[in-house]
Amino acid sequence: MPSYRFGRPALRANVDVQLQTAFSDGNWNAVIRLAAKRAATLKDPYYEVIKVCAEAQLDGTAEKVAVLAVIDELVKNKKTPDIDTIELYEWACRDFFDYEVEYADTLGPLRVRWAKANPSSPLALQCLQACLERWDLVSAQQIATTLDKTYANLADRRYMFWNITLTFLLSISPQCTDASRKVYSLLALRQLERAADVTENSSKLESTDRGLLTEEEICLYYRVLSSHGTKEEYISRLRSSKLGAISQLKEGRKLLFCESLNALEGWAEWDLIYNLCREALTLGLEGSTSPFAVCDLQIWKKFALAASKTTDLESALAEVQTTLKEYIDIKDKASEMYKKNLSLALLETTFRLPATTSNPDHDNAGLSPRVVQIGLFLDQYFERLSGFDDIKGYVAELSFEEAKTLMEEVIPKILDENADKARKIVLKALECKLRYLLSTCPQTLSAEPNVIDGETKPKPFRCRLCNNPASLPCETCLKKLTTEASNTYKQITGDQEILDSLPRLDRDPRLDLALVMGNSLLKLSGLRPRTSDAGQSLWRDVEPGSFLQAVLLLDIQLRETPGDTQLRMLLVQLYLLLGCVSYAYQLWTPLDVKRTIQDSLSPLFFDRICTLSPGLFRGTRPLMEPLRSFYNHSLIDRSPVRIWDAFSAGSYTSILDMVEFDGNLRRSCTLMMTLVEERRAIRCYGGKVDCEIEEHPLAENIDDSTTLVAKTDYGPFANLESLHGPPIHEYLRLGPGLSNERSHLAFLSEQYIDLLSYKPPKDYRPSKTNEVALRDREYTLETLSRLSNSLTDFLHKPTTPSRLTAPESTYYTVLSLLSAALLIALSTPRTEPVPDTLSLLMSSIKSAFGSLRTGFFSSPSAQQKQRIPPACQSLADMHTLSHVRETALAIKHSATFVLAFHEKELARDRSGRSGLHRDVIAQMKALNELAGRALVEVKGHMLKLKEALGEGGWLDRLLDLVFGSDEEQQGEKEDEVTRAVSEVVGGRAAAEEWAGKVIESWREGVKGWGMVRME
Amino acid sequence: MANFRRFRPDDLNKLSKCNLDPFTETYELGFYLQYYAKWPSLFQVAEDQHGNIIGYIMGKLESSPDVYRFSEHYLPWHAHITAVTVAPEARRLGIGKLLTEQLEMAADANNAWFVDLFVRVSNHKAIAFYKSMGYSVFRVVKDYYGEHSSDPTLSSEDAYDMRKPMKRDVKKEHIREDGEKYEVTPADVW
Ligand SMILES: CC(C)(COP(=O)(O)OP(=O)(O)OC[C@H]1O[C@@H](n2cnc3c(N)ncnc32)[C@H](O)[C@@H]1OP(=O)(O)O)[C@@H](O)C(=O)NCCC(=O)NCCS
Repeated sequence: MPSYRFGRPALRANVDVQLQTAFSDGNWNAVIRLAAKRAATLKDPYYEVIKVCAEAQLDGTAEKVAVLAVIDELVKNKKTPDIDTIELYEWACRDFFDYEVEYADTLGPLRVRWAKANPSSPLALQCLQACLERWDLVSAQQIATTLDKTYANLADRRYMFWNITLTFLLSISPQCTDASRKVYSLLALRQLERAADVTENSSKLESTDRGLLTEEEICLYYRVLSSHGTKEEYISRLRSSKLGAISQLKEGRKLLFCESLNALEGWAEWDLIYNLCREALTLGLEGSTSPFAVCDLQIWKKFALAASKTTDLESALAEVQTTLKEYIDIKDKASEMYKKNLSLALLETTFRLPATTSNPDHDNAGLSPRVVQIGLFLDQYFERLSGFDDIKGYVAELSFEEAKTLMEEVIPKILDENADKARKIVLKALECKLRYLLSTCPQTLSAEPNVIDGETKPKPFRCRLCNNPASLPCETCLKKLTTEASNTYKQITGDQEILDSLPRLDRDPRLDLALVMGNSLLKLSGLRPRTSDAGQSLWRDVEPGSFLQAVLLLDIQLRETPGDTQLRMLLVQLYLLLGCVSYAYQLWTPLDVKRTIQDSLSPLFFDRICTLSPGLFRGTRPLMEPLRSFYNHSLIDRSPVRIWDAFSAGSYTSILDMVEFDGNLRRSCTLMMTLVEERRAIRCYGGKVDCEIEEHPLAENIDDSTTLVAKTDYGPFANLESLHGPPIHEYLRLGPGLSNERSHLAFLSEQYIDLLSYKPPKDYRPSKTNEVALRDREYTLETLSRLSNSLTDFLHKPTTPSRLTAPESTYYTVLSLLSAALLIALSTPRTEPVPDTLSLLMSSIKSAFGSLRTGFFSSPSAQQKQRIPPACQSLADMHTLSHVRETALAIKHSATFVLAFHEKELARDRSGRSGLHRDVIAQMKALNELAGRALVEVKGHMLKLKEALGEGGWLDRLLDLVFGSDEEQQGEKEDEVTRAVSEVVGGRAAAEEWAGKVIESWREGVKGWGMVRME
Repeated sequence: MANFRRFRPDDLNKLSKCNLDPFTETYELGFYLQYYAKWPSLFQVAEDQHGNIIGYIMGKLESSPDVYRFSEHYLPWHAHITAVTVAPEARRLGIGKLLTEQLEMAADANNAWFVDLFVRVSNHKAIAFYKSMGYSVFRVVKDYYGEHSSDPTLSSEDAYDMRKPMKRDVKKEHIREDGEKYEVTPADVW
């Protein structure tokens, strides 16, 4: 590592003490004076270097950059300075790299020259490391080539593979010119092929041979081959005697086997996959590898899948079963996990068999071999925490008859009458989960004519389980399920024997029962996947009673089992939907999402957070600081974190994966979310953002062509849904998840706002005002045109509509229209007619904005009013309200921008010729007014909300929604679902504390909104 | 339900099942990547059918730095378990054991004297887990952890330094029977 990383480099030992001291004290003026003196008397150019480098430490710009000019000169003149000089220069420029200058244009080439001139010096290696740390692949590759030549056939094989790895990395890097890409690709590939041949052809490879020896070297070869070679080459090598996947496996090397299966799957080479799996599994049986070395579920699944795709499917599947059987015969030797894998493999193969083979006689369609296998699996594993997840996919594949048999005949027989109570309860909880799962499977419904006697029926299906008219999911079944789960729940709480046995269990069955009830209630409430048409108030399509019952019930359960992350995560989402953001945050915090896992998990809380509750950002600790610091920390250098470690350890596949990971992290949608949410929140409270978003170091390399990557991890959700429908998290999000499209639109919109809010520094008084004004105008027009094009492009991508909520879609559309309108407004000379496009754009802006406003402010239907207080409507739809505000502000600031421009021009050029067209001014004034009115409306609405929440009686209102009001309760008989919920949560009185929290959180949110600026 | 394979950096986006559990520490990116860079074959994961990581082990092979060669606490060439964790839903299936065994195999293949690790003295589950596989306490490191895992009134917690001898240690020179009685300070361990 270059020494300057830890401070200043050491000066040469022969430099006198006085200068040494001044230098180490950072006394730069003294250094400059002394170095100049020494240079004159000693005629040693090294002192000139010290002087220039010391000058670069001064504050003045001219002195600072002098060193750059010197380096530039050196690079141009093809000079090779000595290594001390290079080290000094590199230290002196440390703050310029990546901004003022590129390492690859300056120090990189100097280091290459030095290394080439001194290839066997140990310092040449330091040059390689320095280039890698600045991620200058061009220079690093050249040094590595030199080192490889110098140290060919040394026992230290790394030089050869550094060279190859870097050549490959360069060939896939944007740092490579298109012209040389091909050359480097071939170079890397050919060198590795030669090495592979050396290995194949030598009887015993020595470490000094230039062949492939270690697992890392071999896997590097295959990686490069799959990228730059042909499929045929890859496959033929994969079967070869020494470097083939199977021979490597025999040496205990599994990596190639795993990686090659993935590659082959990409090419749909099923025959080969089949053969490889078969051979690999046979090795274990023969004792050529440790017996269960490849007994992973994935291998069995691939084996069975490949078999089902071969031409002779029956015999292939029979072979799979035979192999499996041989394993089952020795399974007593296996650990629990492999035993379970084998049981699952058995299930998998049974399900891959064609129906005719698996159930030839059809005499009992229900009790098919598939059902029997599931039963056998459950016999062993029903008590396991993962039991449900293990079989869920298979159960959802069953036909209706099979499913019915499983539920009615097989599962009840798993335990006999006298079995332990707690075990019975666990089985019951599993049964409830399975019933819920089946409610999401279309095979439980049968189609019915949906028009009878000329009338269209609302429910075009009949549920085959309960025989009632239904749609998916069947309401009758869900209601029944909820009450039964509740009964089981009460059975637990009412029986001390069971309660005492809970700690012995893998998990508290009440948790599963609560999840089943909660999910059922959510479905009963009418909650649908929150796709692009969501974002409007939750209560437009969701029935508040059931929804709130679900939240209450799950919340009460969390008090019993606070350590359960799935339940906690579910509740966080529900409270976000409800608009109880501060409470959601309280629940989120103990999950302790920090450091590395933030990139994948923080969107689950922070995405769109500013549109819900900007007040959250006003807490004592900066809300997104941990995220920001994670990215700053991990991306501060251009080189991937820890990359030199991988080079020095010879971990070549690690290098490739780390480079890819680093690239993805730099393009993370979560990173963009972090930047944008925080800027929006800052603006809400009139703060100043640090810098324009485009200038932000973390957004440095992002432009329209960058694909931003969404890596949100939905693993922490308990997903009881079948694959026939969307997973549960899609029901729970505020809208579509993070995406490339949305992230880009957010990025562009922030750039647009940066343009509008740009103010020259206060002390900036240019002398040539006219010239500067012209340049400014040109820059503004260029930026507008670029932003308008980019926004339009992203909005028009076919995938975009499904990635945005409706308010987001309006907001970005309005911004794209505004940027186009401003471009015309500012570029039309006042003497020429204003193009018609402008008024078209204006009316589009007005109508888009108009429908956003009416969508929010229009009063809810009478029926909705009855059920839910109007304030609740808004509280669950702050996302829209916040977009009304953002859009209004964007319109207002755009209009102000144009009007200010006009004023400035009038002030500058008294003739008035450079001002804007009258019509333009009129249009902008109209926009300004429109936005102003909307903002007043938003403000008024906030006030009303605050007043409404300030009124008394909320507790009762909320509890009435959950339990029904007194009249409702007395009038009709209380419905059984409500009773079921009430019994689990301990009745209305027990729910008061919860209701208090919900209301408090609403009030807190509205308080935060109250301070938000409307200008 | 599980596959065993080498860790890849993308797995860091799939850690929720393990790392949201309070007993599992989440580190900085550089920490994971350092292990992946230097000892990739000692960083193994178990994944479920959806690609979630349900267990992992991170280890290294090293000796104490040379400057300590003559210290009584010097550690010869050995493997060290830095972290091992299994998601709650996948515990007691032998996954932790399999992961540890893999590391022990690598330790033997690299001619290590022993495998060692630090564990909180209050982490009874983990201690039982290690003991079941033949590890024993070698020494107690006083106040090794900056905070106590279960008692917020305490500002530190001791660690057991546990060991298991590998094949190279034929005479079992690197373990002791009464390790609980040997106390050292954090400054004595590197
Ligand atoms: C410790 C931990 C890794 C064990 O993983 P695991 O996969 O459940 O363990 P295994 O199934 O391989 O257990 C192997 C043996 O260890 C012992 N063991 C494991 N967990 C145990 C427990 N909770 N109580 C008692 N013994 C236990 C048993 O003897 C077990 O064999 P058995 O199941 O046949 O009786 C896991 O509990 C965990 O991740 N804990 C949280 C993180 C942690 O504490 N890590 C260690 C930090 S140093």
